[in-house]
Amino acid sequence: MVNKKMMAILFASGTDNKLSELTIHRTAASLPFCGRYRLIDFILSSLVNSGVNRVGIVAKNNYQSLMDHIRMGRDWDLNRKNSGIAVFPPFVLNTARDMYRGKIEALYTVLDFMTKTPEDYVVISDCNIVANIDFKKILDEHIERDADVTILCHSNYATTSKRMLVTHDANGLVTDLNFAEMPTAQKKIVSTNTYLVTKKYLIEEIEKAYSRALFDFEKDILFQAYKNKRIFVHKLEGFTAIVDDIKNYFNESMKILEEPIRDQLFNMPRKVYTKVKDSVPTLYGAKSEVVNSLIADGCVIEGRVENSILFRNVHIGKGAIVKNCIIMESGEILEGSRLSYIITDKEVVINEGRELAGAKTYPVVIAKNKTV
Amino acid sequence: MSSKKECVALLLAGGQGTRLGVLTQKVAKPAVPFGGKYRIIDFTLSNTINSDIDTIGVLTQYQPFELNQYIGNGQPWDLDRLDGGAFVLPPYMTAKSGEWYKGTANAIYQNIDFVDRYDADYVLILSGDHIYKMDYKKMLEAHKEKGADCTIAVLEVPLSEASRFGIMNADSDGKIYEFEEKPKKPKSTKASMGIYIFNWKKLKEYLIRDEQDKSSSNDFGKNIIPSMLNANEKMYTYDFEGYWKDVGTIYSLWEANMDLLDAKSGLGLDDPRWKIYSRNEAEPPHYVGTAAKISNSIVSEGCEVDGEIHNSIISRGCRVEAGVKIYDSILMPNTTVKKGSVLRHSIIGWDAKIGENTKIGEDQSHATDKEIAVVGPFKEIEAKTVIKAGEMV
Repeated sequence: MVNKKMMAILFASGTDNKLSELTIHRTAASLPFCGRYRLIDFILSSLVNSGVNRVGIVAKNNYQSLMDHIRMGRDWDLNRKNSGIAVFPPFVLNTARDMYRGKIEALYTVLDFMTKTPEDYVVISDCNIVANIDFKKILDEHIERDADVTILCHSNYATTSKRMLVTHDANGLVTDLNFAEMPTAQKKIVSTNTYLVTKKYLIEEIEKAYSRALFDFEKDILFQAYKNKRIFVHKLEGFTAIVDDIKNYFNESMKILEEPIRDQLFNMPRKVYTKVKDSVPTLYGAKSEVVNSLIADGCVIEGRVENSILFRNVHIGKGAIVKNCIIMESGEILEGSRLSYIITDKEVVINEGRELAGAKTYPVVIAKNKTV
Repeated sequence: MSSKKECVALLLAGGQGTRLGVLTQKVAKPAVPFGGKYRIIDFTLSNTINSDIDTIGVLTQYQPFELNQYIGNGQPWDLDRLDGGAFVLPPYMTAKSGEWYKGTANAIYQNIDFVDRYDADYVLILSGDHIYKMDYKKMLEAHKEKGADCTIAVLEVPLSEASRFGIMNADSDGKIYEFEEKPKKPKSTKASMGIYIFNWKKLKEYLIRDEQDKSSSNDFGKNIIPSMLNANEKMYTYDFEGYWKDVGTIYSLWEANMDLLDAKSGLGLDDPRWKIYSRNEAEPPHYVGTAAKISNSIVSEGCEVDGEIHNSIISRGCRVEAGVKIYDSILMPNTTVKKGSVLRHSIIGWDAKIGENTKIGEDQSHATDKEIAVVGPFKEIEAKTVIKAGEMV
């Protein structure tokens, strides 16, 4: 009997290296984003809102912050008696020489999790996608096309990060796949590295590829398989961001200050869930001035904030001016400091009267727990 | 079989709260929103768990759906326990009879089995309509130390206001010798906060006896406390110092909200050792637009603010459009205020929509007993409407 249901496997550390300072202490999945979220919240919420209630997260390194964020999955309604959420710590196979390389080996380590569960379809994805996705619709399309793989794509410029460019025909059938080696000047159809795959097909391909010591899911499986004409694209229409380096972390964050983008992410029946922290609401002082900014709960604002994003429990002192900045949780910007184009990680203190400036094309990151 | 609990809390949440008018037409008073993201009941529930009491019965009766759904399994307050936790206790039928809660004492009487199930030594009786932070554990310790049968938490109030409260007259040791409900000429300034600890065995005797007395109105203040005093039971006061407010009227509800904006009021909620928990909605951070001006105010998650806000509380999910001016007011969750409206000294109920260029309330900053304009929950106010100070719609 066909079980028209999906499960999901997420990779917590896909793109950590290019996020440099921001992922020293954490996985890309647990990178704070948009005032109160972690990157993983967007894909997790999309899955849960699409009726997916079995999610495995494959962790590789620095996954303590991820475990702390996910806990039992209750905040996403994933603390279920059957199914729910499972975090898989790194698992070194006896037959492997080292920690898994690439998605094929990672998926091979969780093969049991896939074979023993009843769902017939699997969503596999990195955790650095920011979008509000209806997977139900994509599954219907996948079944109708009798596809093996549906690649979720968006229209974007390719960056220097290894992005997969997708060519397809009028029916959405993939006709070519290749990696972008250079940034493109025109928008292209770019893969988000999120796939909906028929489970039986996935298990067969993973077993085959693993036995031949292949490990790159895109290069070793998809680049060959599209020739069988069973791989299709699904173009995501709403706001879709892939966060894989500091510059686009900054740019994609700032886009959420635009109302239409905010509406595409948040203003729909599919809510975005995150860990509940019971912060008090934000307090504005008598002399506060705030313009075009996103402010999470728990802040105390006594200075000026412009075109910025403040995470929870941030304090902006009197006379401080924060422009075009991202201030993560529990940041303290003391009296009279001036900041522009700065990203401060959690618990950063900027002392009185300091002046710090990055540039639009090069926002400067202040690492976690540092005092300036 | 449940295991033994030293102290079980019972929260009286059945009252209608008629003095809150339109705000409590569809929900019980403890479920009324407070302070941007809370409900009134969050304070007692959080106090209970912060005091290490993990078993609490919430006695509901009037419009219980909202409150029942809100409390749920108690998880937001860490009260979803294998043993104990939060229980909603509505009136129920037994083989012999079944009736509504007739009074505060009768409500506890009808739940004798609940307390017995945990074989509790002490019961803590609480009200669901007070805003305060209090460590009940310290009160329980004082109760045990004095070997009391009943301990009543009291608050020092100004003599001029004492006639509005139930006043406890006690000797220097705190032993109560007289209780006067709203005395014309108060003899002391120790006002009852409606928080009691009883030795359960003792209270049970009095509850059973009170139930048999057909003339009794089955009320703690009117019947149980006086009859225990008459019988010379050991009853003590427990002095509480700190912020406490009964938010049973529109004005006191407004005032308690405003106290959140005053650092000197003593009602700071940002104490990591004494968090106030609430059931959180999934809302993004609030957005402040280019035309916004906000001073001395609280703004919660999920809001979109493009107008002016001064000395006000803006609860989660509100929309304040450009050109709006809000002074000394409370917007409850999910309200929308359209362009050009001016609000002063008002409370806007949840999910209300205020049309363009509306005028609500008047400047009351110099009045001693301010008249607060109130718009009920889910009300839609047409454009250009004028609502006067103290008016309720």
